Amino acid sequence: MIKYLLQKEFLLIRRDSFLPKLIIMFPIMIMCVMPWVMSMEVKNIVVDVVDNDRSVGSQRIVHSIEASRYFIFNGQKPTYKAALAEIESGKADVVLVIPPRFSKELVMGHRPQVLIAANAVNGTKGSMGSAYLSQIVTANVAPTAAAIQAKASTLLLYNKHQNYKLYMIPALLAIVMMLMTGFLPTLNIVGEKEAGTIEQINVTPVSKWAFILSKLIPYWLIALFVVTVCLVLAWLVYGLTPAGPLWLVYVLAMLLALFFSSFGLIISNYSDTMQQAMFVMWFFIVCIMLLSGLFTPTRSMPQWAYATTYINPMHYFIDAIRTVFIRGGAFRDVAHQIFALLGIGLFMAIWAVGSYRKNN
Amino acid sequence: MSAIEVNNISKSYGQVKALDDVSFTVGKGEVFGLIGPDGAGKTSMFRILCSLLLPDAGTASVDGFDVVKQMREVRCRVGYMPGRFSLYQDLTVRENLEFFATLFGTTVEEGYDSIRAIYSQIERFGNRKAGALSGGMKQKLALSCALVHSPSVLFLDEPTTGVDPVSRKEFWEMLSTLKERDITIVASTPYLDEVRCCERVAFLDHGKVRGIDTPSVILDRFKDIFNPPGLTKAAGAQAATPTSQPENIIEVEHLVKSFGSFHAVDDISFAVKRGEIFGFLGANGAGKTTAMHMLTGLNQPTSGTGTVCGFDIRTQHEQIKRHIGYMSQRFSLYEDLTVAENIRLFAGIYGMSDADIKRKTGELLQRLQFTEHRDTLVKSLPLGWKQKLAFSVSIFHEPGVVFLDEPTGGVDPATRRQFWELIYDAAERGITVFVTTHYMDEAEYCDRISIMVDGKISALGTPAELKQRFNQPDMDHVFTYLARQATRSSD
Amino acid sequence: MKQFISFVIKETRHILRDKRTMLILFGMPVVMMLLFGFAITTDVKNVRTVVVTSQMDHLTRRAVEQLGQSEYFTLTATVATPAEAERLIRSQQADMAVVFAPDFASKKSGLQLIVDGSDPNMAQQWTNYAQQVVAGSLGDASTLSVVNSKMLYNPQMKSAYNFVPAIMGMLLMLICAMMTSISIVREKERGTMEVLLVSPVKPLMVIIAKAIPYMVLAFAILIVILLMAHYVLGVPLVGSLFWIIAVSVIYILLALSLGLLISNVAQTQLVALLLSAMVLLMPVVMLSGMMFPVESMPQVLQWIAAVVPPRYYIEAMRKLMIMGVGIGEVLKEVLVLVGMTVVLLTIALAKFKTRLE
Repeated sequence: MIKYLLQKEFLLIRRDSFLPKLIIMFPIMIMCVMPWVMSMEVKNIVVDVVDNDRSVGSQRIVHSIEASRYFIFNGQKPTYKAALAEIESGKADVVLVIPPRFSKELVMGHRPQVLIAANAVNGTKGSMGSAYLSQIVTANVAPTAAAIQAKASTLLLYNKHQNYKLYMIPALLAIVMMLMTGFLPTLNIVGEKEAGTIEQINVTPVSKWAFILSKLIPYWLIALFVVTVCLVLAWLVYGLTPAGPLWLVYVLAMLLALFFSSFGLIISNYSDTMQQAMFVMWFFIVCIMLLSGLFTPTRSMPQWAYATTYINPMHYFIDAIRTVFIRGGAFRDVAHQIFALLGIGLFMAIWAVGSYRKNN
Repeated sequence: MSAIEVNNISKSYGQVKALDDVSFTVGKGEVFGLIGPDGAGKTSMFRILCSLLLPDAGTASVDGFDVVKQMREVRCRVGYMPGRFSLYQDLTVRENLEFFATLFGTTVEEGYDSIRAIYSQIERFGNRKAGALSGGMKQKLALSCALVHSPSVLFLDEPTTGVDPVSRKEFWEMLSTLKERDITIVASTPYLDEVRCCERVAFLDHGKVRGIDTPSVILDRFKDIFNPPGLTKAAGAQAATPTSQPENIIEVEHLVKSFGSFHAVDDISFAVKRGEIFGFLGANGAGKTTAMHMLTGLNQPTSGTGTVCGFDIRTQHEQIKRHIGYMSQRFSLYEDLTVAENIRLFAGIYGMSDADIKRKTGELLQRLQFTEHRDTLVKSLPLGWKQKLAFSVSIFHEPGVVFLDEPTGGVDPATRRQFWELIYDAAERGITVFVTTHYMDEAEYCDRISIMVDGKISALGTPAELKQRFNQPDMDHVFTYLARQATRSSD
Repeated sequence: MKQFISFVIKETRHILRDKRTMLILFGMPVVMMLLFGFAITTDVKNVRTVVVTSQMDHLTRRAVEQLGQSEYFTLTATVATPAEAERLIRSQQADMAVVFAPDFASKKSGLQLIVDGSDPNMAQQWTNYAQQVVAGSLGDASTLSVVNSKMLYNPQMKSAYNFVPAIMGMLLMLICAMMTSISIVREKERGTMEVLLVSPVKPLMVIIAKAIPYMVLAFAILIVILLMAHYVLGVPLVGSLFWIIAVSVIYILLALSLGLLISNVAQTQLVALLLSAMVLLMPVVMLSGMMFPVESMPQVLQWIAAVVPPRYYIEAMRKLMIMGVGIGEVLKEVLVLVGMTVVLLTIALAKFKTRLE
């Protein structure tokens, strides 16, 4: 019986004027554009320098800034006030003020203070900018201090080239699964509700399970296809491949699909119009995403917010997929995330099927 | 001066010619009918006259204003009720009416006289949301909204589809009072009795005007289309069933369904025998659809018992679903699937084997003369064809009973006749047919009928019995007689 | 005028009747403000740290104590070899390891940080902080500092400062553009638009009447956001309130004309929904500089970002609200917004169809 329902779903997807385009364009968009967009790398920070010293020493600092890959040197400004005006109008991000007689004082063994004033409206940018800048200054004026810091060597594991794209690709997989297995089946079911065809199906002997599975399986398959395309593109375009076993990536993706499709189903069972379903879905998804650690570290959250991650499937997924994809973890490294995802997924699935009513 | 002048109007959508060199004039204060089968171009004509659509060629004027150049003047003078007029579902009945009254620059109080006959029937639901009304009641509200102002020209595109006969009569009586106020009315309708209410009618077919004359002349000239000979059930069809006392396939005892304090279905009891064609009649909002939903296992009854094909409607609704066919009021095949794919889907759902499906699909398409449309998308078929197809699909798996909820709404007489031939075919094969309809000529075709009023069954018997019992000449009068006794929807 | 008012009332009823959508529309800003204000931070905090040492001399112990006491690091384990530490990091039981060489105390050197580099930004910051803490424990680095850093406008480095204008940009766009376009297309889809067009009311009035309730709604949400930002999150509204609201009004108009434009193109609600989501929401979130800095993107994307209206609005709001500059400093952004509004509104009105296709 389910065979015929599946055939119907595939035919309808193929006949749809929009879906086939989405299925083809989406992975390409996601893989070719998003990694460039979703980089939180801080670079191209615009620096103004107010050099009140105008010595060889201060010139050396300016040259170092010009050479740095993080900074764009915007020029010398006559006064701190003028530089501040540039920040206010958004032309500069950081101002470096070198005091008068800076070099001379240094030679005399005093400790003249350099002022770094950063626009910290964007906190990350402000703090990273001023940190980089102070490193440059310290290295230039106090080689001894720099040497002490250099004593501590740093070994960066897994993402040696500090490639932001590597960090974001697992997150993109999560977004793909969310859209393909969460939004699309939901809209599809609510669409049948609005068109009235669901009533016709409800008077046939089709069981709940058959109907629901026939709605979900096509999108699971599509999601698998899209994930595969994304992985292939990541390899072709960026040369990035999962460091851990590939099958684990798929297992995790399918577990997330189980959650999202059940979640979408629950929403579609309780909504009457597409607009409603879409808004409710969107609301929950934004919350789930923001609290999952997709973009920001979960450990920095306050206690109450961190507590929510225990029931946030996206959090388990993103943790596990990053372990597998970037850190090369094996099954035992992500076992507890897998079981947690499975548990949450099954709970939602049972709820979803329970709340779907053929007879009321 | 004539109110409407149409000169050589043509309009095509891509390859399809919707209107081809159409000309006619309508005099001031005339009631003019625009009739013809589905897809004849009636809706396009209305839209052009309302200045909503630009014609490809030709000119038209309404009240002396050109529909192309003088859009604003035209729009200030016409009233229009499109075929798929839809209300604001989330506004209440009263809010809908008030909004449309203000929109047309009047108030409900001022326009009350012109809508009294119809609006009084739904007035007590004033605070209910339009979305919660039954199909026919929505149509009545839509009518009230369209009539609340008095334009100088009124365009009505199939205004009474899905409305019960009594209300239709009241509606046309209202139109004749409008005529007294010199309002020109152009209406399209699939009902013959309504066609007869017009002064003159134009018969459109495939975008061309086939004739313009008084209704009787047109109906006579195109007799074979509008007035097909009545159906007579093949002799001995009933006798074909071997037992003289066939078993009851549907049995209902004291069935009640209430929504809050409102009893949509209020204690009904009846039985339907195997192989019978059972007409389930009633005014809009009488509770027909709700009763049907309980029988088909879509809703749980509030109280009472019932069996369908020997299964309990409370507990064994999934088994019932195996043994019935259902065709809902809203058209319910998948529009984006082809004819053959729809058949295959529903046959497959009922567990038929691939080989069976293939063989029977061929047979069915041949019988319906659909073979060449096997791979046509359902959405591009005309309405009448869709409905024939939907019916054939619903009995494809040879169910014990088939439930038809207003299967012939908005279809022209010739197609309706063909549809009933299909129903007779099915009945001959032993399928019990449970059908609701607002066409009283169709009621005559049924073996037995029940008439629901206010959630209760107020009459049950063969058409002949009922006519005799209530001493009325035909079913139309029987229905009117009973429905006028309703208390729920009037005053 | 009476018709107009009754139109507005009808539209308001539509909005008020759909309780769930209403709840989302007002719940969204509140929840997002709370999340961004309290839950989401990029601060370095609770970094799970493993200490790798074979022998604990007093200097190592002091360094370890210093690490443990700082709010940045949480010591989770002490292991003997770097390999073990790496295993802990791989299985996500730790983020970072500090490896002390056996002769650390004598040489005051021989310190290695093994950092989970998955997130480059965080890795960089963890390293900086760890170095500072350890160097501090050795007692010689802090005195050497020649740099006096000053964080302008946001001394406590709250991320809310950055996100509040972005949330405003996103939600106003969502409500005005998406909701208006959907509500117009819904009338088209249901067939009521035909009746409205044929009625004596001017088409333009239909549109304006539709837009007004959404404008009011957007305004209410704007006020909610501003109040919450100030009283709950403690974001200072240093700029002139008049200009903040004036620029927001321009932006709301812009969003409304975009919604109108979409409703001209779309025939069904689904298409309108998807168009708004793909054409409006995606660029707003991705290219407006809300989350991801525009200046780090490749040139091509920066050009695309240049035509995304919320970018200018968010920029202007950051300056007006947080930095408290005068209107003169945001003249460029305001002019771009006004220009875009005029162009879009003209196109939308010119393309508005008073007839059917």
